[in-house]
Amino acid sequence: MSELRTSSIETRGKAGLKRYAMVIDLRRCIGCDACMVACKAEFDVPLGVFRTWVPYKVVGTYPNVRKHFMPRLCNHCDDAPCVRSCPVGATYKVEDGGFILQHYDRCIGCKACMASCPYNARFMLPKHRTYTDITSVVDKCTFCHHRVTQGLAPACVVTCIGRARIFGDINDPNSEVSKLVSTLPTQVLRPEEGTKPHVFYIGLDRNNSEFGRAVYNPLDVLEEDRRAFNKNHEG
Amino acid sequence: MGDFNIFHHMPWSSTYSIYFFVIGISAALFFFSTLSWFRQEFEPLRKSAFYVSFGLMVLGGLLLIGDLSKPLRFLNMLNPAYLNFASPLAWGGLNLLLFGAVSVAYFWMMRKNDETNSRRLAIIGALLALGLPVYTGFDLTVHQNRPVWNTPLMPILFVAMSLVSGAAVASFLAPGKPEKLLVMLRRFMLWSAGAVGVMLVSLLGTTAYGGSGQELTFMFMTSGTLGTIFIGVGILLGTAAPIALLLAPIGKQQQGIMIAAVLILVGGMALRYSILVGGQIVQTYF
Repeated sequence: MSELRTSSIETRGKAGLKRYAMVIDLRRCIGCDACMVACKAEFDVPLGVFRTWVPYKVVGTYPNVRKHFMPRLCNHCDDAPCVRSCPVGATYKVEDGGFILQHYDRCIGCKACMASCPYNARFMLPKHRTYTDITSVVDKCTFCHHRVTQGLAPACVVTCIGRARIFGDINDPNSEVSKLVSTLPTQVLRPEEGTKPHVFYIGLDRNNSEFGRAVYNPLDVLEEDRRAFNKNHEG
Repeated sequence: MGDFNIFHHMPWSSTYSIYFFVIGISAALFFFSTLSWFRQEFEPLRKSAFYVSFGLMVLGGLLLIGDLSKPLRFLNMLNPAYLNFASPLAWGGLNLLLFGAVSVAYFWMMRKNDETNSRRLAIIGALLALGLPVYTGFDLTVHQNRPVWNTPLMPILFVAMSLVSGAAVASFLAPGKPEKLLVMLRRFMLWSAGAVGVMLVSLLGTTAYGGSGQELTFMFMTSGTLGTIFIGVGILLGTAAPIALLLAPIGKQQQGIMIAAVLILVGGMALRYSILVGGQIVQTYF
């Protein structure tokens, strides 16, 4: 994979280094949202913001319709734009593992990382939290760095009842993620951005994952939902 | 995606567009104050343009700091151990601070009537002032995932918008409105507004013929509320109308120049707002 490497920060295929990745098999996802709940519990993620979330789209024509779920999270890009854009180095990449993490005590809250992330994976923590004193800084999924370094899988992976999420070191050719990525057709989100995302999807239809005309002319009910969501999660 | 259960916000609020507006004017006014050392027509502007430039720079700095979710941590930008020079924001922060320091020194030298040093500081300050719209443009350009922003035009567009808005404010500042100065400011407004217009047409073209994100952004920016602000106020009222007015016989008179200046300022704010928001709308649906 070294031929894919275009910047010195990239570690996929680099000998002696781990490069964690997640494969999400959409054929197995039933949209139970247990991953969202597990993540919320693991990190005390506040109301209104998510480190992982499961948007859906109803596809097909009645009566042949189904809900297409697409679990989302930080893509822990190999060439992460958020690392580049942070003026104070609060966002950084762990070389051995490829985790994109955050120095909470450095973050000034300029939101440049949020603007640079093509995946909407970053969010601003609220000013007040009940159990945690990390507030008013940008946060995101960490690939459960604290668990993975202890030899555990991320909380969302452990809890997934359909085993739709598979996690491992893609630099290790014997890992399950390596085998899945090398033997099955996989897709990443917005590959054209050059970020080299490390969340791979099996069974993803880009017609459902990319911007559609529906964005410009959304259903009224969706706009009502959006207004209600924004109102409920202000501040 | 077509259906949603989670929604996303725009990271950069409209405060940034006000910052872009005031810092652009501040930079251009400093430039006009510098010009006064080399062109006699600009002499009446030397002090007044500098004072307004300084005030707007302070206001811009406060807006920028106030928009941080951890305002006091702006001091982290001064910590060499933290600074990430891959980020245009880091360069911008340093540029703004240096511009502030040079402005204070310039003020001091002007008060001491030290012409030689005032001239030197004016030149250094003008170069740093040029850096302000350039970095604000780069701030947007570097986000490869954002339609409208991710174009090499952005820094140049911001320089042109800075000049045209600055010239508009300067036309109100000169005491007694000397005719020679107004002639020069009219030229600045005309040529910079022309440059802005040409760049906006290019921007609209590349956006309309871009990928799905760009196409959708084009649709948002040319219709509905944002379309009214961008096309109606920004391009037609704030760019095309002042150009037409300045080219007409009345545009050579003080009254015409003043009306054009007001339109330019309203349009300048509208353009900055719609470019800032336009680049963020579509992604809130992703």
